[in-house]
Amino acid sequence: MKKNSAFSRWFYGEKDTLLGKVEMKPQNGHAPRAGEIRELMEERRLIREHIYDVEDNQKLRLFHRLYQAAAVVFCLMLMLIMLVVVSWLPENGDPDNPVNNEVSARYIENGLQETGAVNIVTGMILDYRAFDTFGESNVLFISTVTVLILLHNKKKEKKTSAEGGMRADKSIYEENLILQKIAGILVPIIVIFGIYVILNGHLSPGGGFSGGAIIGAGLILYQNAFGFEKTERFFTEKTYKWVCFVSLTFYCLAKSYSFFTGANHLESGIPLGKAGAILSSGLILPLNICVGLVVACTMYTFFAMFRKGDF
Amino acid sequence: MTNPVLLNARHVVFVAALLFLAVLLLCCFIRAVLGPKVADRIVATNMMGTIVMVMIAILAILLNEGYLVDICIIYAMISFLAVIVLTKIYVRVYQERKEKEHPALLQEQSAAKGEDVSAENRKGE
Amino acid sequence: MWEWIRFLVGTLLLCAGIITFALEVFGVYRFHFVMNRMHAAAMGDTLGIGVSMLGLIVYSGFNFTSLKMFLVVVFLWLASPVSSHLIAKLEHTTDEELEDYCEVKG
Repeated sequence: MKKNSAFSRWFYGEKDTLLGKVEMKPQNGHAPRAGEIRELMEERRLIREHIYDVEDNQKLRLFHRLYQAAAVVFCLMLMLIMLVVVSWLPENGDPDNPVNNEVSARYIENGLQETGAVNIVTGMILDYRAFDTFGESNVLFISTVTVLILLHNKKKEKKTSAEGGMRADKSIYEENLILQKIAGILVPIIVIFGIYVILNGHLSPGGGFSGGAIIGAGLILYQNAFGFEKTERFFTEKTYKWVCFVSLTFYCLAKSYSFFTGANHLESGIPLGKAGAILSSGLILPLNICVGLVVACTMYTFFAMFRKGDF
Repeated sequence: MTNPVLLNARHVVFVAALLFLAVLLLCCFIRAVLGPKVADRIVATNMMGTIVMVMIAILAILLNEGYLVDICIIYAMISFLAVIVLTKIYVRVYQERKEKEHPALLQEQSAAKGEDVSAENRKGE
Repeated sequence: MWEWIRFLVGTLLLCAGIITFALEVFGVYRFHFVMNRMHAAAMGDTLGIGVSMLGLIVYSGFNFTSLKMFLVVVFLWLASPVSSHLIAKLEHTTDEELEDYCEVKG
């Protein structure tokens, strides 16, 4: 994308959306008045006394106790309500259950013809019910964004404690030559195996989710063997953003029409091909690839966030 | 294998192997619970992973489904990764704990080890 | 006739593999120190997997499944020594009484 265009500045969060649109008075510089510092300290003391100081404030202690009791009671009530609801569910295996309708028979009988996928589970989650899988990929994305918000620590202050530990014993922290040589052989094997599992989603058990997890595990192995600096050469925050954005947008453009036309509206114009070949079953292969990429980035991002707080 | 005697014998052999391996798996698990040190537990978990791999491969031949062997590769990878990450994290935890208790002692130890290693290198050359 | 030979060879190899696993578990129980247990586990794992998978390859014949099992064996033979190396490093770093019962160099 063009640098410094309005779209790229909005995308990276550098643009102030209110600038020029909100009427603002010109601001003077701020110099504290004579008694202002004392007023601020007085405010802080009052806040501490009313909100945080538990030992001296009787009302606050009572409120804390009541809060804990009410929290326990609320959780127990929720559990009770859910258990009562579960006890009202119909018996397992009853032929009158709503789940034993004609939908599953239709999927099993006509699945191969209509979707072209030999693995009818993949055909179901990526063709009949593709919108659900789109929601799942979005859930993965949202959870990763939440973890990034909470744990992403871009400052380099962690270096001091890590260096202190490293100085004490260099043998396992530093580059371990045996691990590096073996990782140099094994990481390509793992990534290729992950790609095999993704591409064979519609022919054998596998698909986007498991293949993406395998590729993520390969990336984690690479990071453990070579350290964070070398992994930053090809996987940074920008990589994560771009990969997830492109994958999810492609999925959305491909399959979200069913939100308007109703489910089971399958015609996408791409020929179904011969069953059992790799290039068959229409849009299932590109969608598997999108889902796999999202899952792989999610796995590595979670690991990096929980391990170090930075990519 | 079309001979029905052979098929029966194959079935019996596989089921017996699976049962025996299940008993071994339980013993490994008890070792993982008992082991007094962290390294004991990591070793036992690795062993459990390998035994499960053999069980899955036997199942794949028993049910005549070839794609179950893919799961074996995944198990090997997962147990390997688990050992790597666990050892690194535990060493770091141990060193941070040591640093908090005796910060000066650690500097002395590292200085002494550095001198020893450099003396040995010089002798080796 | 060939099928009987294949069945017998496969069963023998599979039994040998399972006996190796049994010896490995027995060894892990009998030894008292981590380093010995780790050694028993590594040897038993490698040999057990190799021989068992060879037996299963003989059972299933010459097809794609056998190739995948061979890949599993190769993967494990590459990855298992690194695991034992790292566990030994862990034990060496965190054990304080290692010098009492084991000779440590470097």
